[in-house]
Amino acid sequence: MVTDFNLETTKQENCLVMKTFGYINNIGGQKIVDVFNEHKDNGINNFILNLSESKIVNSIGISYLIEVIEKLNNSNGKLIFTNLDPTIEKTFTIMGLFQFAEKADTVEDAYGLI
Amino acid sequence: MTTSYQNEIVTKLSLQVSSFQEGFKILANATSLQEIGRNFNHILRGSLLITDINIFFKLSAEDSWQEIYINNKNCKDCLDYISDLKRQQIVLHNNGSMKISVIHPTIDGSYFGLLIGDKLDKMEYNEEEKIVLQMFLQLLDNAYQSYISLKKEKQLIFSLNHRLLQLNTLIDTGIEISKLENRNVLLETALERAVALTNASKGLIEISRNKKVLGIIRLPNNLNLEELSYAQNKIETKVEFKGFQYFVKLIDKESRNGFTKFDDTDEILLNAFARQVLAAVENEHLHKEALENETIKKELSVASSIQKKIIPEKLPIIDNYDLSGINIPSKEVGGDYYDCFKLTDGRYAFIIADVAGKGVPAALLVSTLNASLKAYLDMNLPLSELAIKINKIIYNASPPDKFITFFIALLNPSSGELDVINAGHNPSLILRNDGSLEKIEAGGVAFGMFDMGLPFDGQKLKLNPGERMLLFTDGIPEAMTMDEVEYSDEKLEKFFIKHNKETAQEFIEKLILDVKNFTLDTPQSDDITALCVIRK
Repeated sequence: MVTDFNLETTKQENCLVMKTFGYINNIGGQKIVDVFNEHKDNGINNFILNLSESKIVNSIGISYLIEVIEKLNNSNGKLIFTNLDPTIEKTFTIMGLFQFAEKADTVEDAYGLI
Repeated sequence: MTTSYQNEIVTKLSLQVSSFQEGFKILANATSLQEIGRNFNHILRGSLLITDINIFFKLSAEDSWQEIYINNKNCKDCLDYISDLKRQQIVLHNNGSMKISVIHPTIDGSYFGLLIGDKLDKMEYNEEEKIVLQMFLQLLDNAYQSYISLKKEKQLIFSLNHRLLQLNTLIDTGIEISKLENRNVLLETALERAVALTNASKGLIEISRNKKVLGIIRLPNNLNLEELSYAQNKIETKVEFKGFQYFVKLIDKESRNGFTKFDDTDEILLNAFARQVLAAVENEHLHKEALENETIKKELSVASSIQKKIIPEKLPIIDNYDLSGINIPSKEVGGDYYDCFKLTDGRYAFIIADVAGKGVPAALLVSTLNASLKAYLDMNLPLSELAIKINKIIYNASPPDKFITFFIALLNPSSGELDVINAGHNPSLILRNDGSLEKIEAGGVAFGMFDMGLPFDGQKLKLNPGERMLLFTDGIPEAMTMDEVEYSDEKLEKFFIKHNKETAQEFIEKLILDVKNFTLDTPQSDDITALCVIRK
């Protein structure tokens, strides 16, 4: 069942893995952007978003993800989504996120795309 | 300005056309205000040889200036220069750290403000540079309009995609939850989708019956119900199925700036989700019902085949005797039982019994009776003793509302002597040669009613040549017409007396036909069982 939002990060060289827990909504999206900005300003340009523990996302959450994607596109960075629930994957497809971001089955697979 | 000076400026500006074009291209590609500010700074820096450029923006006259590109933090001391927003202006200042102030209103009611410091060569700004600045401001304005258009276009695409997502999810959810067999998972899935698609931050489904809350599905799962009761920003709907009410509530619609009110589309979506929940719950109920029916059908089929094995397919052939029996269950598995078999001492047992109730429980009791009866009869126990033992077995094997009426007659075929016990069953009938009818009532209470050691009194009778005996269950005298008129014991007795020339099989067939003709199209409400024994 859906819990309150939480975010865990793991840094590896020029890549930050963000693992989300719970509903990616206004609060969740803002938190993702805050953590993203903080590491982007410190020179990180590749990001992996592990959504294995998130089953739902709303359009406000998606707007934050688009913000991240746009910023990375301007700096030739990358955002890779992993461990997508089928419903979220379909949501991202319809909202056009995969036009500018990539997806992988697992975090390990995502490292291979960077 | 003289004409020659104007011509000179025009010539100089003409030389910068490609620079303006390049500048616009850079500005127009900006995807954020900050980027516009940064790019505009670069353009001015290259064209006017200045580094102290500070750019501000405000969405409306009432808002405060927000910094979008700052080179000199001290520039804020000169914010007074850009406080008068009446019109577009470029003002040169002789004193202070900022030498030029600019206010540039845009088409959507927002403003750019510029504070520009000294040139690199510390020279004063001239009119030509003011004109160049004016032209670049025009570029900034165009780029801003382009940025606004792009932003609106993106918002429109986002909004259209979101509508598509809502429709798609609505369809998918309907299909998905209709396949779910676990009601809680079904409700959780529907709630998750409804919350996400309406941008609600919380939601719940409350299941109630007769105003009593039976369960609540929450999102998130730590949702505080007390806090929820005070929520102003919410929408809710209700669906009902078989006395259960499902209240679906969505709380606090989100926006990028906090919360906003739910709109008509959200109401439509919520109602659509609620209808899908109703359809899925109905489906789940029907599916369960179908499974249960299937299980019952299988059980009945098994019980029926057991019972068919218990009831004899063929009756034994006894010299100088004519036998015929019939069993017509009213359901797939009935509660009636009859049998006839030879004992080890050469006698024959004629048995008829009726279990209170029908279906699988009745079949199980019949099976128990059959097994225990055959075991005890082989032990050659006196019938009164046998009846006590079987009563105990049936009493222990049956629930309080189940009992068996039972009749047994042990026939010595050579003498015609009958050893009989009737445990609460319909009196069996003997038609004597003189045309009189004898009812065999001797015995005790039905098996399984009491376990108090009550005695069963046997009776000894004789079936003389030419006499006949009829064992039957209450399905015959109690067979009813549409108007609930019973066939009756009297009619049966008269029929038995009247049809005294028929063989056992002819008699049974005619009896059943007579009963059917009496009840006509009325569905058979009870099992019909009969056994006719004629001593030739």
